Amino acid sequence: MSDSGIIDYAVLIPLMPMLAFPVILFLGRLFNGTPTWVKNVKEGGIIALTVMGASLVLALAVIKEHMHHVGTANVFTWFESSWWNSETGAITTKVFGVGIHIDHLTVMLLFVAAFLCFLINIFSIGYMNTDPINDNRNHRFYAEFVLFCSGMLGMVLADSFLWLFIFWELMGLCSYLLIGFYYERPSAAYAAKKAFLTTRVGDVFLVIGLVMLWNLFDGHLDYAYVFNKENIAAVDSGDLQLALGMMFIGAVGKSAQFPLHVWLPDAMEGPTPVSALIHAATMVNAGLYLVARMFPFFGGAELGALSTLAIVIACIGGITAVMAALIAFVQMDLKKVLAYSTMSQLAYIFTGLGSALWFANNGYDELAAFAMGASLFHLFNHAMAKGMLFMASGSVIHEMHHAHHEVAHHDDDHHDDHHDDHFDAQSMENMGGLASRMPITATAMFVGSMSIIGIPLIGGFWSKEGIIASAWQVALKEPIFLLPAILILIGAGMTGFYMSRMWFMTFAGKPKTEVAEHVHEQTAWIPIPLVTLTFMTLGAIVFAGMHAGHWLGDFESGHYTNFFDGIGYELEHVFLNHDTFLLVLTYVAIGLSLVLGPSFAMALYGGSLDDGQKAKPWMQWAINLSAKVNSRSKFDNTEWANSSLSNSLHKRLHFDDVYDAAMMKIVVGFSNLAAIFDTKFIDGVIKTIESTSQQASQRVRALTTGSARDYIMMTALGTLAIFMLLWGVA
Amino acid sequence: MTTEVFSTEFWTAFAPESILVVGLLLIFIIPNLGNSKFRIPLTKVHVPWFLGGRRFKLTGSPAIPGMLATATLFTALGMMIIETIDGNMDTTTVTSGGIVILQIDNFSRYFEILFLSAALLASMASLDRIPAHTFQGKKSLEEMYDNRRQADFYILMLTTAVGMCMVALAQDLFVLFVGLELASLATYVLVGFHKESKAGAESGVKYFIVGSVASGVGLYGLSLLYLEFGSLQLTTLAANWADASILGTIALGLVLVGFGFKVSAAPFHFAAPDAYAGANSPVAGVLATASKAMGMIGLIRVLLVIALPEANSEGSAVWLYALAILSVVTMTWGNIAALGSKNPKRMLAYSSVAHAGYMMAALTAVGAWRWGEIEAPGDYAEAIVAAVLFHLFVLVAFKLGAFLVLGLLEMEGGASRLSALAGLARRDPLIGTAMFIFMLALAGVPPLAGFMSKFLVIAGIVSASIGELWMNGTVSFSDIHWIWWLALAMFLNSAISVFYYLRIGVVMFLDVPEEGRRKPLPYGASIRMAIWVCLVATVILGLSGDTLIDMCYRAAESLNLS
Repeated sequence: MSDSGIIDYAVLIPLMPMLAFPVILFLGRLFNGTPTWVKNVKEGGIIALTVMGASLVLALAVIKEHMHHVGTANVFTWFESSWWNSETGAITTKVFGVGIHIDHLTVMLLFVAAFLCFLINIFSIGYMNTDPINDNRNHRFYAEFVLFCSGMLGMVLADSFLWLFIFWELMGLCSYLLIGFYYERPSAAYAAKKAFLTTRVGDVFLVIGLVMLWNLFDGHLDYAYVFNKENIAAVDSGDLQLALGMMFIGAVGKSAQFPLHVWLPDAMEGPTPVSALIHAATMVNAGLYLVARMFPFFGGAELGALSTLAIVIACIGGITAVMAALIAFVQMDLKKVLAYSTMSQLAYIFTGLGSALWFANNGYDELAAFAMGASLFHLFNHAMAKGMLFMASGSVIHEMHHAHHEVAHHDDDHHDDHHDDHFDAQSMENMGGLASRMPITATAMFVGSMSIIGIPLIGGFWSKEGIIASAWQVALKEPIFLLPAILILIGAGMTGFYMSRMWFMTFAGKPKTEVAEHVHEQTAWIPIPLVTLTFMTLGAIVFAGMHAGHWLGDFESGHYTNFFDGIGYELEHVFLNHDTFLLVLTYVAIGLSLVLGPSFAMALYGGSLDDGQKAKPWMQWAINLSAKVNSRSKFDNTEWANSSLSNSLHKRLHFDDVYDAAMMKIVVGFSNLAAIFDTKFIDGVIKTIESTSQQASQRVRALTTGSARDYIMMTALGTLAIFMLLWGVA
Repeated sequence: MTTEVFSTEFWTAFAPESILVVGLLLIFIIPNLGNSKFRIPLTKVHVPWFLGGRRFKLTGSPAIPGMLATATLFTALGMMIIETIDGNMDTTTVTSGGIVILQIDNFSRYFEILFLSAALLASMASLDRIPAHTFQGKKSLEEMYDNRRQADFYILMLTTAVGMCMVALAQDLFVLFVGLELASLATYVLVGFHKESKAGAESGVKYFIVGSVASGVGLYGLSLLYLEFGSLQLTTLAANWADASILGTIALGLVLVGFGFKVSAAPFHFAAPDAYAGANSPVAGVLATASKAMGMIGLIRVLLVIALPEANSEGSAVWLYALAILSVVTMTWGNIAALGSKNPKRMLAYSSVAHAGYMMAALTAVGAWRWGEIEAPGDYAEAIVAAVLFHLFVLVAFKLGAFLVLGLLEMEGGASRLSALAGLARRDPLIGTAMFIFMLALAGVPPLAGFMSKFLVIAGIVSASIGELWMNGTVSFSDIHWIWWLALAMFLNSAISVFYYLRIGVVMFLDVPEEGRRKPLPYGASIRMAIWVCLVATVILGLSGDTLIDMCYRAAESLNLS
């Protein structure tokens, strides 16, 4: 049941970057430092860009073809084996191979991944190649970059959970390598290790889950078999819930949710393009993708049997949303604010998915489709906005570095003390007033923040409203769901606060250091993705129209095939809901995120720019407003800042400390024991086997005397032995 | 289609083999072309006679025989592949006076392709391994030796190929025996080809002596068969086997010894390590692959075609226990001996003994099918035979490949110590990697060809032992046929073998090259090309062996088991 057409070439989408990986690596080793390689090929950046461009074009072609129908293709069959059952006469065939599966979910993530990989590649060429610390090792960056892209694209396109897992691990590896790109810094090496080990905890559970699934489904992990309604119905739903729960823990690790979230903030040690790509826009979505993939199980299993898991998923989401937002309140590092924001927004999507799964499992197909669509759309909006925010933050950090060198007169020799001095280019305490100095970046950040906050009519607003509404609708039917529903509603207000805080601290007010006064927007390549994504985010309503018309469509309850009807549906649903409860809810959410959060942020961090500096008109009003609010309110938060809650927020709510302590006590102790067992027992056994077998070999070979006489005698003995054996039988 | 010997159809059908013979004759003739004239007696008329006299410079070049042999093998192989690959092959049977002598079918063509591939790769490699020195000027003694024996070497190589093809085609045990001896006698000489080296001469003679003893025993078995049945026709023997007296069983045992020597089954394998170590590596590679396949043809013909139990009878074949014990002894002996062997060629020889054990275990599984209990047992037997055939073919890819790498090393000195391989990966990363991949394939690491073949063989044995019990709920040990233990033995032996295969990798990647082996490897265009062909085949056949596996199935089908 394979389709033909463009889907036959879909395998090239992950394959091209995978093949580019060794090419860039080897060319880099060969031509490192030569002028052509550095100037024209950008140390491999151009090769990567070409490949990612080709992947994007192919991905778009595939998406166009499969917008409205599911497609599968068999790429390669390694071998088949079959067993024959003499009683039934049935032959069971098992195929070991690779295939492509494309449905609405694939289409969505494929677009996000291919598009952002391409844009962030453009950004990387601007960001990485102009920083002298990266000289002569950028080829390593680009090689790992394309390998990562290959992993993400492959995971999305795979047609079985097995291949999903393989690519999932490939991404984990690349994440490790890229976080530790500056491996000479102990903090980066530590962060890489932490990210790898923390996600590993989740991955172990994922493997357990997959093995359980494999066992439940009679040795199958391919979507075609496990998503078959009859096959799902044949499985015991208690076991299925357990297996899916195990897989969900893997998703929790990958998407940095409570309690496996500790690695994401540290992962910001990697170069900023890596944070944008892996830790905001693509890899962290893998967990969401995995959970979204489970949708057919929930639809197919018996009613209500998997509700518990759906509730757990939503609760984990709700808890993480608020916890991460709280920690983000006190972060001073620009990228870490974004990291916690990522966590919090992913948590929203988990809650949305939880609602969708609950609906699916309880027979509300239409509501399930709506919640699913909202969640996926939030994934889309968040990926676009957060990718942009990270790139914008990279732009700020990059220009801060430049300005710092200008100020400190280090222009002549970058290398000596680039990272040794104590100036922190990432701290918002050193910024301020950048709105007029970096107009493109400030705009991008402005739009991105608004999208994340959920300012009406922009980006994330459309989807966040949908998620909150879905969660509350479940809560009306299932009281336990009130917990995540209330948490994400509070979270909406908190998002308003920390995102506004970040923007105002960075771009409004007076420059807080001399360096910030000297910042200019000057690096080529960087503005391209920022501008593209700004428009993308602003125009989310266009995609919202498509979302209502299509992304729900695959669940056979899609209402609007007409694009404008879709937009109309969205608008009506958000602002003029027929259900009074939901109408009130919508306005509460808007009020919290639009009014309450930003007002607090303005009161605390607002301020006008330097005299004579003027931001672009679409930002100037916000700065003026913030200055006004700030001067009127005289809001003092020193008491809060010194409170014990604030302290523990600074310490990330002590999660890291507790985990470290647990590691030192339990894991290290166990490791020591294991080491003793290994050297004493296992090595001993192995060595005994080795020496015994060598002696045996010696004896056996001694029979090969080298004399033909002996050989003939052995032949005669052998003949005699055969005679005896045949005689015995006959 | 049935045809008489030397009829028109005969020549059409046997075109590839004829090319081989023509090539063989050309190698006899061309180097001897000269200006000699023949004087008609009692006259003064000198008729140009061209054979002998002062040799022509062009045709007398020592490079000619090698080229000619390679081209001949290549042409014949190409013709066979084109004929066979799409699966629409006509079966041609050759009779002479009512006796079926030869038959061209998928089975024989498959083996001929295997033999010619091995011979072709070995000839290509020998172009560099025993180089012809065509440059002018004074030559050293060794170079003159090399030049003098070019024709001899390739004549022997082609003779081996022709003999092996005859074995594959034979439908009469006597014809089979003649082909076997033709090939064997040529290989005896090839093994001792470097007669000036002590090891070469000694191993050649030893191989000959032990081999002729085994052949004698086998021939005695054949004569007893003739005594019993009055014919050596495969069809006649197969039809009457069920009524055989004890004489048939005795004869079977004796024949088993003859073929057992060829596949180097323990305890008839003793001459093999000596022979491989003394022969030059491409020749050793042919012995380990093609010669073994020739022995397997004999075993398959005798055990599966003739002595298989009737399709609808209960019980197992007579030879079942003998072959089972022989196979386990062989694989274990080979692996244990290889464990400590410090000479890579002897190591490969022992590994080849172990591989013979695996294949004999598979044949045992065919004999143990509960014939008559299930429907269409032939299909399952065919699957196992196909697995054996596949294994034999991929052995050509990686075992011959490994021998060719050793051949490359021999070009700069001996390759009879493990330390000769030291640091190979650093001296020549590509060749080192290729050797490592061959070792992995021999060990059966996925996704290489070696894994595929081992998987198919073990899967065949397991399905033969468990068969219809599979998927019918629980399987208890008492229900399983005892040949299941053969699969287990094979599995354990594979685990043991990983040790010595990977040791080669360790030596190549981690050790420091020994004194005198610090330079880059000698170049050798054609031997390297042969190595690449082997490498590509090892990888491709592992990933996607469908075409070849289909060929194996067709070959197994044409045996008409059951």
